[in-house]
Amino acid sequence: MRLLSSSTCQVIGLKNFLKQHGLWVLLTAAILSVAMAVMSVLSANSSPLVNLTGILVSPFRAGYTYIANWFNDLQNYYKDTTDLQAENAALRQKIARMEETIRQAEADVEENRKFRELMNLTKQRRDLTDFEAAMVTEHAVTNWASSLTLNKGASLGIEVGDCVIDECGNLVGVIDQAGTNWSTVLTLVDTDTSLGAQVFRTKDLGVAQGDFSMMRENRLRLDYLPPDCRLLAGDIVVTSGLNGYYPSGLVIGSVEEVQLDDSGAASYAILVPAVDFDALTEVFVIKSFEIVT
Amino acid sequence: MIARNETIFKWSLYAAATAICLLVQTGLLQRLTFWGVIPFLYPLLAAIPATFEGPLPGTVFSLCVGVVCDLLLPGPVPCLYTLVFPLTGLCAGLLAQSWLPAGFLCSLVSAAAAFLLHGGFRCLILWMRGTAAWEAGALVMVRELCVALPFVIPLTLLYRAVFQRTHLDG
Repeated sequence: MRLLSSSTCQVIGLKNFLKQHGLWVLLTAAILSVAMAVMSVLSANSSPLVNLTGILVSPFRAGYTYIANWFNDLQNYYKDTTDLQAENAALRQKIARMEETIRQAEADVEENRKFRELMNLTKQRRDLTDFEAAMVTEHAVTNWASSLTLNKGASLGIEVGDCVIDECGNLVGVIDQAGTNWSTVLTLVDTDTSLGAQVFRTKDLGVAQGDFSMMRENRLRLDYLPPDCRLLAGDIVVTSGLNGYYPSGLVIGSVEEVQLDDSGAASYAILVPAVDFDALTEVFVIKSFEIVT
Repeated sequence: MIARNETIFKWSLYAAATAICLLVQTGLLQRLTFWGVIPFLYPLLAAIPATFEGPLPGTVFSLCVGVVCDLLLPGPVPCLYTLVFPLTGLCAGLLAQSWLPAGFLCSLVSAAAAFLLHGGFRCLILWMRGTAAWEAGALVMVRELCVALPFVIPLTLLYRAVFQRTHLDG
């Protein structure tokens, strides 16, 4: 006895079904085909069956399109973010380079401005023949003196007693010590500083000297004024240049007020230096000058 | 020979501790201002080691500190610190030997004496030059002392550590 497989049984079943109902199936298919053809001809847009199928499939179609778009967006977002991060890093580097360039340019502009002012000063003051630019490396180191340390010294011809000015020609002080590659300046307000001075407006002569009582307020005294001098607040005081120790006409400062000394017999003026010592970063040492008579 | 090596080691440690303080002073404190004055540690460097080491070694050490200060700092006379600091060391050493044992209180009193001597000497020089400024000088001296007083604590700890390291038998 032979055993039949299940697929063979199904084929036999299908044959029996077609034998019994095949004609009806064929007829139904023919009617449906004719009906669909007729509806297709009669319909303006699409056949109702196709339309129905489309209506049924449409939400699914929209769903998987939405999911596909979401994946695409996600992919694009990741790609864009990565690109933006790389671009951002590159831009940051570019900005840093540009900022460095700007800083350098600002420093150059400032240096250029100082040299231009110094050039003008040199043109105006032909008696000042030799300058040395120097950086201030240290401000006051004790509470009892007002000094600056410079980064240039005797190796470049700087000597004790040389006048130090800023880029506008205002007197800063006088060199007190000169090492090989450094020097110390005692500023105008230091107690050891004493200079021949002249009031620019009245031509009165005096001695500008530091006073410890005023040093912390950045003030100095103008002593030994003639009894008949009439000073006004704001009068400019310059170096007198007498005896030829220092150049004449360097601006020391301006008169703040005039006071009587302890004896009450003589008056002295309190001067405000033209230079802000705390803000100084670069100065110029006058290495030589011609005495103007 | 051993004693000599120990002496060299001891003073080398004191010198190293002082060098650190000088570095802090010149690199940091000199650029700061409190109550209108720069914190000025130099007199403390002359006084505090002397409280631990006694009058004679303290005076010699203070003399060395004074010489270094005269080389570093501008002054109205070239040997200001060389003159003042040995006196400071001597006073601090005697104080620690006779009245107050070396420690924070002794360091505080020595610091006050150190600033008094330094400020007094400065004012004396100004007076001798005809530009007396006793009041302004006293004000600066008091401010210097007040600003420097908090530094007495770390400096005392530092020099005490050196002292204990070099006097293990004590």
